[in-house]
Amino acid sequence: MSAWSFYISTLVVYFAVDVLSGVSINLQYGYAGVVNLAYIVFQSAGAYIAAVTTLGPDSGAGAFQSYVFGAHLPYPVSLVLAALAGAALAGLVGLFSLRRMRRDYQGAVLLIVSLVALQVVTADVPLFNGSNGLTGVPKPLGSLNLSLQGYQWAYAGWSMLIAAAVYVVVRRLSRSHWGNALRAMRDQEDAASVIGLNTTVMRMQVFVIGGAIAGLSGGLLVQYIGAWSPGAWGYAETFVIFTAIFVGGLGNYRGVVLGIFLVPTLFLELPQFLPQIGYPGLIDSLEWISIGLMWTLSLYFRPQGFLPERKNVALGVPLVTVEETPALVATAGRR
Amino acid sequence: MLDTLLSAVAFGVVLASIIAIAAMGFTIQFGLTNVLNLTYGGVMTVGGYAAYLAVSHGASAWWGLPLGAAAGSITTLALGHGLLRRFAARGTKVFEMMMVTLGIGLVVDYTLQALTHNNISQFTVLQSAPIHLGAVIVTPTQVIVTAIGLGIFLGLEALLRLTRIGKALRAMAADPALARACGIRTRRVVIFTWLLSGALCGLAGVVYIINSQSIGYTSGELFLPLVIAAAILGGAGSPSGAVLASLLMGIVTQVVSAYGNASYSTAAGFGLLVVVLLTRPGAVLTKGANEELALS
Repeated sequence: MSAWSFYISTLVVYFAVDVLSGVSINLQYGYAGVVNLAYIVFQSAGAYIAAVTTLGPDSGAGAFQSYVFGAHLPYPVSLVLAALAGAALAGLVGLFSLRRMRRDYQGAVLLIVSLVALQVVTADVPLFNGSNGLTGVPKPLGSLNLSLQGYQWAYAGWSMLIAAAVYVVVRRLSRSHWGNALRAMRDQEDAASVIGLNTTVMRMQVFVIGGAIAGLSGGLLVQYIGAWSPGAWGYAETFVIFTAIFVGGLGNYRGVVLGIFLVPTLFLELPQFLPQIGYPGLIDSLEWISIGLMWTLSLYFRPQGFLPERKNVALGVPLVTVEETPALVATAGRR
Repeated sequence: MLDTLLSAVAFGVVLASIIAIAAMGFTIQFGLTNVLNLTYGGVMTVGGYAAYLAVSHGASAWWGLPLGAAAGSITTLALGHGLLRRFAARGTKVFEMMMVTLGIGLVVDYTLQALTHNNISQFTVLQSAPIHLGAVIVTPTQVIVTAIGLGIFLGLEALLRLTRIGKALRAMAADPALARACGIRTRRVVIFTWLLSGALCGLAGVVYIINSQSIGYTSGELFLPLVIAAAILGGAGSPSGAVLASLLMGIVTQVVSAYGNASYSTAAGFGLLVVVLLTRPGAVLTKGANEELALS
């Protein structure tokens, strides 16, 4: 099989996984204003659960990797469990992090969750094999008896199918009455409370839905690459997706897909073709520096992104009479 | 049993001194400028590397302390007064400013990774025979670290209460507009605050690596959870609150290490903040209700 076909199909899987992440973060941050700086933790929860529920029981003392709750579950079950794990962890973290507080406090608390979770999983070896992580996660769809190339493209297609389905569902949700209520909360929380919206519950709803999508994306990814370790989910990984959304356009799903294509897919994958410069790993560091610069510069020059959020329109007239609160007006008008 | 507890508490106080130095700098700057500054972890590492470079070129470890403080000071002034002020001038609000500091922090961290070739370096200075205090055995380094923490706390309280600039700082933290109307040169106060908090941050970085005996580009970031948790728990802008919260966190962290699973020690320190967020959110969250940035 040609190397190109293999490489492109791999990129398609990564793109699908990152679209899931982008959709999840855009729902949470772009619509509801919840800045989930611990996103990667929920993705990892899904990945670890998908791994341990397919790896089979831990072979005991002397095994090369140790973990909790080993089982051989059939394929779609492990993926569903991954999504549930993401949702459950999000519910747990949401209990203390989604209280009504200054949004910068909230961001800091979630960033700390990300740092602390990484330290715990790295240090607690019996949990998920510590810093070495889990390897040898079995490939699903094995019963299809495909050639290597066929398998690659089958998995890529399956990933894109899941990503497209989630994209359509979440976009519909965002355009519903509930989605308008989310934007009302984001823009004017006091006013949203006044018209009877329970903002803490709404934040919890988006957090858990986003957590389920995160867990799903982690399960999808780990069963493709076959391994997962703390090296894969540093706190900075979350920032890649945020940068993609800042570049593409906050609150606009097409912008999110564009950003995901530009940042994690093109920008972070193309440097593989560059000749090595400096010491091994220098290109890696430079990529992260560029992500930080892109993040900072897009906040400076174009906070709304390439494709900005569309204003709500009623009867062909944009609702901009109350500056900054079009979503609130749209919500109130339908009650 | 009791000996284990006493040792854990003693180590907790040592750790608390390090958290407190960082948390005092964080909270003073946060209380005054209202910027939740997430470049803080990266700047701690910058301070640590300044000391590491000095010592590896033959300087005494004592020189590492002022050098680290100076490096932290200059970096923080450049980032705060040089960069963040421009963002504020373009209309960046409180929350977006936190996101901006996160992006800058990423640049700082990975620039350090590039410069250090992603290596972790040993940093063993001030090693000498341990001291026996009854059943508790501590190293002279730990005693020095605790003394530095205590000295900084007392010095800072004196600065804030007795000097003109300290009083100006407190006045501006309470109400920037009123302070300006009273003729306080707020721009100078802001510059002074960036320098002061940067110095404490750099110093905390040096003390942290002296205690942990190694430094890598993530050193500051790994320590950041306890620092921010202590600063939020202690209340924005209150050094004594930060010190109390740090003591609590240091002791809880070390007691969990001694009796339970050491992997969960930092999580237990952070758990304190979680418990407070769950049970008495008002105690933490109503502080800092003011949503205006004060950067000049």
